[in-house]
Amino acid sequence: MSVSNLLENWSDFRHTHPVDDVPHNPYKWAMSIDLDACSGCNACSVACYAENNLPVVGKDKYAHGYAMHWMRIERYWDEDGRDFPDQGAQFLPMMCQQCEAAPCETVCPVGATNHTPDGINSQIYNRCIGSRYCEANCPYKVRYFNWYDYPTTDNVWPAEMNQQLNPDVTVRGKGVMEKCTFCIQRVTVAKNNAKNEGRLVHDGEVWTACQQACPTGAITFGNLVDPESKVHKQWQAQQVELAKDAQTKDKEEGGSELRGYRIFEELRPYPSVMYLERVRESAV
Amino acid sequence: MMNSGSVKHLAGHPFDRRDFLKVLGWGGAAVALSGCGNGSVEDGKETVVSYVETNDYMIPSISVYFNSTCAQCDAGCSITGRIREGRVLKLEGNPNSAINRGKTCGLGQAGVQHHYNPDRVREPLLRNGDQGEAITWEKAYALIAEKLNGVSGEEIAFLTGGVSGHLKVLLGNYLDSFGSKNHFVYEAVGPAVLRAANKKSYGVEMPRFNINKAKVVLSFGADFLGAWISPVHFSQQYAQFRKGVDGQRGVLVQIESKMTLTGANADRWLVVRPGTEGILALGIINALGTATGDIAAAVKGYDKARVSKDTGVSAEQIDKIVALLKERTPSLVLAGSAAEGYAHGSQNAAAINLLNQVLGNVGKTVEAAAVVPFPQMAPATGNTFALKTLNDGLNAGKYKVLFSYAANPVFTAPGAMKFKDNLAKAGFKVAFTHYLDETAMQADLVLPLDSALEDWGTQVPEYMAEGAQINIQQPLMEKLHANTRGMGDILLALIKLRRADDYKKYDDYYAYLRAAVLQNKGALGGGVADDDTFWNETLSKGIIKLASAAHALSGKAGAAGLSLPAPSAIDAQYPLQLIPSVNASLRDGRNTNQPWLQESPDPLTTIVWDSWVEIHPRKAAELGIVEGDIVEVTGKNGSIKVQAYLFPGIHPDAISIPLGRGHEALGRYAKGYGVNPFQILDMVFDKETGELALHETRVKVSKTGSRVIVVKDEGPAGGSQMGKKIAARLPSDKVKLSEEVYYVG
Ligand code: SF4
Ligand code: SF4
Ligand code: SF4
Repeated sequence: MSVSNLLENWSDFRHTHPVDDVPHNPYKWAMSIDLDACSGCNACSVACYAENNLPVVGKDKYAHGYAMHWMRIERYWDEDGRDFPDQGAQFLPMMCQQCEAAPCETVCPVGATNHTPDGINSQIYNRCIGSRYCEANCPYKVRYFNWYDYPTTDNVWPAEMNQQLNPDVTVRGKGVMEKCTFCIQRVTVAKNNAKNEGRLVHDGEVWTACQQACPTGAITFGNLVDPESKVHKQWQAQQVELAKDAQTKDKEEGGSELRGYRIFEELRPYPSVMYLERVRESAV
Repeated sequence: MMNSGSVKHLAGHPFDRRDFLKVLGWGGAAVALSGCGNGSVEDGKETVVSYVETNDYMIPSISVYFNSTCAQCDAGCSITGRIREGRVLKLEGNPNSAINRGKTCGLGQAGVQHHYNPDRVREPLLRNGDQGEAITWEKAYALIAEKLNGVSGEEIAFLTGGVSGHLKVLLGNYLDSFGSKNHFVYEAVGPAVLRAANKKSYGVEMPRFNINKAKVVLSFGADFLGAWISPVHFSQQYAQFRKGVDGQRGVLVQIESKMTLTGANADRWLVVRPGTEGILALGIINALGTATGDIAAAVKGYDKARVSKDTGVSAEQIDKIVALLKERTPSLVLAGSAAEGYAHGSQNAAAINLLNQVLGNVGKTVEAAAVVPFPQMAPATGNTFALKTLNDGLNAGKYKVLFSYAANPVFTAPGAMKFKDNLAKAGFKVAFTHYLDETAMQADLVLPLDSALEDWGTQVPEYMAEGAQINIQQPLMEKLHANTRGMGDILLALIKLRRADDYKKYDDYYAYLRAAVLQNKGALGGGVADDDTFWNETLSKGIIKLASAAHALSGKAGAAGLSLPAPSAIDAQYPLQLIPSVNASLRDGRNTNQPWLQESPDPLTTIVWDSWVEIHPRKAAELGIVEGDIVEVTGKNGSIKVQAYLFPGIHPDAISIPLGRGHEALGRYAKGYGVNPFQILDMVFDKETGELALHETRVKVSKTGSRVIVVKDEGPAGGSQMGKKIAARLPSDKVKLSEEVYYVG
């Protein structure tokens, strides 16, 4: 396949998942994160460790880049060459963006990572062979590989600590890839409950662990195809559309009063996470 | 229903209602106690069924939830524990608490790692040379009784961290039984100077700060999003503040010498010369030009040129702040730990509080807080002055028996205090503890405690968010270890050895608490509910909300007695000011053994598992220091070696090392990681309160020649976005927040 063919017929190769006629019915899980509210406190990250059985790798392994934080807070400084960061720092909660056209999925030789019908990029641990191609291809660098067998590694989950492990979440062994799942175990419980009661999941019925902890309420999670959901309303108000690769805001050079954007939109992974730009007072 | 006759009979001495109230913690109450409803316990027929026997509720694979109170810090956030198959798995915030409204901080999340920590002490340990020998509780209690025999009240001291609720009641009554007044309440990093300054400025130690009602927040080093007072509460207020009052987004100006997490979120972060915060506050009052009378007189000398020279904040910047404060009201001015930490800390805080008064914020954004009307249960807040007093007493050989609980002064006292040596002079030292921390390592008898998720209790937060509330702590699962005990149970057992008659009807602390709550059912909102119903409701809510009046604020302190020293000259030998920073997760180091916190990157430097010293890049260039250089930080009281991190958010004449690491004990996740700056602090005290001035230490920095790779989350690009739009930002005149759809919470 030539590059020109790929570019010309892009949409044939890069589907918005799922590929049915009716995509994302009745669920498409999505998020929005308000960077003007986020304080960079890291509570979300710790909550994710607690919920998702993330191993604490220790100092030496951390030094090798083996940290397993599915949710990490990136910290940026202004690059204006001034002596002091007089507008503070910029914090960015970063986790898997649950791309609709996920670059990680297409490169997996065994199809261990793929899309669920409700729009989550899933990872099938017992299919994963550890090629780590997905990690290399993820533009956001949010995939984490188990270089060690953490359940049997000293002081990761020693006696008593292991009693805290969440039985709803698989404990991963050596050689598999993992990443943020949008707390799929919580989503599954809510979907099953709703199904048993013959209804759909209400807005606010599922909270991801990070969202639930977040002291500033910066994170909103929900079903993007539910017009009543907060996340839907936020995306709509910001005129951000899932299947587009350029949003209203991007078109209006400097003129738009919108804050919503997706990171690396131009790479066309069609992420399911919208960020709201941080605001800084112009009067001071 | 019971008449007091049988109480008399049970108690074995003439019934004195006042004494009886004191036993249960309602002594001196400002709210009338209901006359009835205290039946079941007094008649002794109560059968206590432990709440931890959850068999009825336990269905495999189905979670149950119980409410309790986070004990990771003293803010008193209410939590809901998720329990499955009898194990607590996860803590969430309880939405019904006005303090945290369903949210928690990262520290709170790690509460389960306190409970499941593999390094918890499991048996009572008696010192035998260097070893701790496991003994039984009977033997431990007998030993305490033996050691107390013939010892007078003055020779007994009880050291604790902040305590409140019924634990404080029992503790007070226990000390009372010896006629001892020696309860030393010690907090290594508490806002003690601020409390005293607030008392003077507003008439109360801890008013309510309504960040969410302010259009401008001018914070002098108050890290309210990080480690200050009630961070989860303030974070929620902050989110509302950013959405704005009347659609006008709140503006945060943070003034400090070392950037805190709050500073990193400011619209304008202003670096100020260490210790000149008060001068800047007076300069702003002067520039506002609205003050009259003695206040105007007091700020007369603080013209812009002088203030700008003293503080390093430009005259232009002062003008901008003044314009903002004039244009947008109400505002809110906060005096934080950075302003407190000097020999003139009280004066700094008073000057900053005065600014609130001048701006007319008192009564608007600084409001009176609701008060729990039971003084016996009110929080005993700690300070370093208490530790100093204890230390002097120990040094003079005053104490034969010392008890310690929830404080670790061997780790947190300045090295120059020689606390460890002085501690050795106490005849018999008993530590009630969860882990073998540095202080427990020095004890003669170590008594292992139930974890905060296994124990019973009541807690009264110092900072009341809205109405007054008493928080309930209850076990979220069965005890992990058979031989640990609840602190309340231990105190009850000890006090029974002294005042058997008063307490014999309470089999355990649970029975005592239940009796106490039910005895005062009327005032606690129980109305006419029967005892079981009310008690079960109380436990299931996890919070008792009280109707209570707030003390009025005075807010008319004026400028009397206000005098600020000129900025200190640079010391030729020790040219740098050491700022020991308080990080939201590690604080004073008591939680450093929770691995999630060790591996949770410091938000500003992204460093994990180790200490570092922050140096401004300009200063570092001057000293030839690059990232990862191991430098020696030397002051009058010793030196520590630590890796350097070049950090733009710090005054070039200051350096900063975080507190909380550098443990020599406390278990596998804490011991041996990083350095402990408490060890090299100078012994400088605030002139008014006698508090340790945490920011007054002068040091010099020298290279050792070795270099390490700093273990951190930040990548090779450092804080650069490499020209990509990753974390984006807009100026406020480019958005219409009022037209946005948003949700807080
Ligand atoms: S963010 Fe990375 S891991 Fe997540 S779906 Fe996109 S490419 Fe895959
Ligand atoms: S918990 Fe919320 S405020 Fe804190 S870093 Fe995460 S998203 Fe930001
Ligand atoms: S602020 Fe954090 S640690 Fe403190 S009580 Fe609240 S949740 Fe717990």
